[in-house]
Amino acid sequence: MNWNTAVYIVMNPLFALVLSPLVLGLIKTVKARIQGRPGPPVLQQYYQLRKLFHKEIVYSEDSSFIVRLGPYLGIAFMLTASLFVPMVFIPQTGWFGNIILFFYLMITAKFFMVLGGLDAGSTFGGMGSSREMTVSSIIEPVTIMSCAALAFVLKTTSIPEMFRTLLAGSIFSYPTLILVGISLFIILIVESARVPVDNPETHLELTMIHEAMILEQSGPKLALVELASGVRQTVLMALLINVTFPWGLAGLAGCASLLLAAVTMAVKMLILAATVGLFESLLAKIRFFRLPDFFMIALFLSFITIVFELLR
Amino acid sequence: MQTVLPVVYAALPLVLILIFWALGRHGLGQDNRFLNLFVILQTALFLVATTWAFAAFKLPLGFLHGDYFYIDSLSLYEILVTSMVFLLAAVYSRGYVSSLVEAGELDGSILRLFYGFFCLLEMVTVLAFASNNLALLWIFAELSTLFSSALIVTLKARENIVAALKYVFVASTAMLFSFIGIIILFAVSKTAINGGSLNWTSLFDAAHNMDPRLFFLAFSFLFLGFAAKAGVAPFHTWVPTAYIRAPSAVAVVSGTVLNLGLYAVLRLYAIGYAAGAGINLRLFLFIFGLFGIAVAGFSMLKRTNTKKIIAFSGVESAGLLLIAFGLASATALYWALFYVLGYSLVKSLLFFSAGIFHRQYQSNKYFAARQALKLQPLASWGLILGSAAAAGTPLFPIFLAKWNILAVLGEVSAGMLGATLFFLLPAVIGLGYYFIRLFRQEPGGEIKAFRTPLSMKLPIIVCLTSILLLGLWVPGGLDNTLGRIVASLGF
Amino acid sequence: MMNTGITGDLIEVLFVLILGTAAFVITQRALRSLFTLYTIQSVILAAIAVVLFAEHRTVSLLFIALLTLVIKGFVIPAFLRRTLVVLPSKRDIEFSYLTPASSILLSAVLLFIVYTSFSNVAEVLFSDRLFFLGGVIGVSLALMGMMVIFSRKKVVSKIVGYLTMENGVLLFGLFIAEMPFIIEVLIVIDLFMLIVLSTIMAFGIDSSIEAFHKKLTQLGMRFED
Repeated sequence: MNWNTAVYIVMNPLFALVLSPLVLGLIKTVKARIQGRPGPPVLQQYYQLRKLFHKEIVYSEDSSFIVRLGPYLGIAFMLTASLFVPMVFIPQTGWFGNIILFFYLMITAKFFMVLGGLDAGSTFGGMGSSREMTVSSIIEPVTIMSCAALAFVLKTTSIPEMFRTLLAGSIFSYPTLILVGISLFIILIVESARVPVDNPETHLELTMIHEAMILEQSGPKLALVELASGVRQTVLMALLINVTFPWGLAGLAGCASLLLAAVTMAVKMLILAATVGLFESLLAKIRFFRLPDFFMIALFLSFITIVFELLR
Repeated sequence: MQTVLPVVYAALPLVLILIFWALGRHGLGQDNRFLNLFVILQTALFLVATTWAFAAFKLPLGFLHGDYFYIDSLSLYEILVTSMVFLLAAVYSRGYVSSLVEAGELDGSILRLFYGFFCLLEMVTVLAFASNNLALLWIFAELSTLFSSALIVTLKARENIVAALKYVFVASTAMLFSFIGIIILFAVSKTAINGGSLNWTSLFDAAHNMDPRLFFLAFSFLFLGFAAKAGVAPFHTWVPTAYIRAPSAVAVVSGTVLNLGLYAVLRLYAIGYAAGAGINLRLFLFIFGLFGIAVAGFSMLKRTNTKKIIAFSGVESAGLLLIAFGLASATALYWALFYVLGYSLVKSLLFFSAGIFHRQYQSNKYFAARQALKLQPLASWGLILGSAAAAGTPLFPIFLAKWNILAVLGEVSAGMLGATLFFLLPAVIGLGYYFIRLFRQEPGGEIKAFRTPLSMKLPIIVCLTSILLLGLWVPGGLDNTLGRIVASLGF
Repeated sequence: MMNTGITGDLIEVLFVLILGTAAFVITQRALRSLFTLYTIQSVILAAIAVVLFAEHRTVSLLFIALLTLVIKGFVIPAFLRRTLVVLPSKRDIEFSYLTPASSILLSAVLLFIVYTSFSNVAEVLFSDRLFFLGGVIGVSLALMGMMVIFSRKKVVSKIVGYLTMENGVLLFGLFIAEMPFIIEVLIVIDLFMLIVLSTIMAFGIDSSIEAFHKKLTQLGMRFED
């Protein structure tokens, strides 16, 4: 293990951890402003996390070790997954970065969340878990198809390799990436449980999907769960950004270039966060049984991308 | 002298449209009998011109530099059948439309539109038969869809609009695929002809230079549209819906549009056969033909509406004709063309009789027809003999045609023959069962007889006599013409 | 051999966008968005024609682009929006035979089938790979339009489906050959559709074609069959 890799292993997840509450806060502010109210301060999520770490944990009497263990597993898997998407610079090692492994790491994290939701034995938890699993299983073909599309277009399944290829070329030499970008955006919306798939601010039984699952969590465990969701969102946003707009990613690990790359990525991330907020405000939540229609478009677009590449 | 034909076929209907428009301004637009005279005049002139062309002119004829229009024996034959049917329908509509107007089902103010579209439909159909250029034929076929659906809409019921829309959508959608086929065919023709061409003549002459696989691809697309126009399953869904809602006269002339679809398929098949794609095309046509017969046969078993069962009989005959085309044999083709003539007459007979029944009982259902033989003897015999003819009873032309076609089919493939006979059986049973039920309704009470005017009886008499004659004797002139057509197509 | 120049890439992007609009047309329920999608589709089509013109310099392409833009970008959408006035409900919710999700899956399969069936004959019919791509996409667009016609109930949505089919045919024609009659034919089709649209406006037909049957059966008045 050389210097480059070590810095990368420390820096990438740290970057994701530090940036995610800011991203969440910005989305909330954008939505609030569009709704005509001032909204919480942008740094509110940091304060929220700090508050949660100081609160006591309450476990339901019927819960088992899963609820106790789940949040740790969740954040661990998410941070590992965050290693796979270079956000600041592209590491030279080829140990990790397989895109399929990346998505399945995220799914494993979600799996433990779902188990945790079921564990407490409450109706809300069970309902939330089953809905979350339904949505997840429907979006999975889309995810795989988008991965396949990316792999076809960029001729590699390793994410750092993809970014390296993109840095060397331009979006116009891969015009089909627009389509993959749209599919990735839809996947982002689904995975981070945003409108129109799921409303992250609701606590009404009819409309909860993700929120219902984590209703039983409290205290530091809840903070870890929120952090894991934030990291998931940040990492997916980073993937989307670097696929469509890779400029700013550093190829090498020089100090100055790192700083520049970090700042550029932060700016791009915040712009994308504002876009997501805008997108959320423009749409209404889709009825649960109409979600497949929404996903099918993403599937179709990825499929066309593959066909286009075949025809090249 | 040849210019008589374009003048009659193209200029005359347009002149009539102007006359109708002028009549409206002078308040004569609501007089059915007066307007009808013009229509009878046009259809009669069409028939006269066509028979004269048969007798006097040396075919083939070409018009409009570059041969955009080209009349050879096949076209003229089809035009002859068309003009006969239109004339009969025009005479029939004299009484039929009067009755509709009296009953309030047809608005007097749209009589001019009705007759106008009628004349335009004849013009467009005839010109389509006469076109040399495939794209031109396509345009005329689309226009025929437009005009026949307009004719369906003239009745005041809302279901008519629905039926017309279904017709337009199914037919136009399929024709768009045909258009893709035309584009492909043009590209294919570029490989065989310098600069490419869409004329039947050029394509047929250069057919042996074309790649059979390419032609088959073009044919599959082209087939879709023209099969939908011809009422071939599975594109036949508009046929029952449109035919039960249309006035009988309109249903009769729509039969000629079905002929147009089959005509196009035949021409394309001839070119494909010359190009060497015969085996694939035969399989293709056999599959669709058999499927059509099966669908029609099984649909006919459960029908309760007279016009619908006649419509399905048309679907069945389209299927049989496809099989006959696919056999690629001179005999089969000869009898297939004979079938076209015979069936047009039989179908017209059936629809004319059904129309009289409709006027009498205000319904097309079989259970509404009480005391039919007593009240409408001519129409009843029309239905009885017509359905017997459609099923293929001896002494009628359909029998001769079916017998010979099936004989050739048996020589080619025994299995296919067995399958065809198997699927033809339900069709025959369905027809028979329906009409037996119809004529065995209980008398019920006193029903007022509908006074059928002579203009409605005359076409039935003409049809009956002609099919009886044709069933017994194939005129020499017809024999020569059919032989020439078969030879000119290369079989 | 793929045209890798800037025009080739531009055309590829436009292809991608056209198929995107088609996918959205299949799933959209609001009639107004259907019309907007159709307008966008026609504009993209005109843009493709213009880019082809820039590359190949055939004047008829420019003419087609102009005609497409005027008729399909302005006239027909204006007509469509005017029919909305007589329709009581501005949404088309019911789907028969094919739900949007299955339609899109089916379109993906059909795209693949079209590709394989045309690939044998590609060398003869198309000049290069880009044109082959264009032809395949044209036919797929036509097939997707056909699916809209069959899965929707309202006549207006069927008309949008038909117009999409026509766009597909035009796209196919642009990439395969110098068709002499194509402009006239497409004008005929457009006129056709305008006439059907005016009929709808005049008679005020709105609801799904099946709705009539249902209502009539309920009232015991359905005599068809």
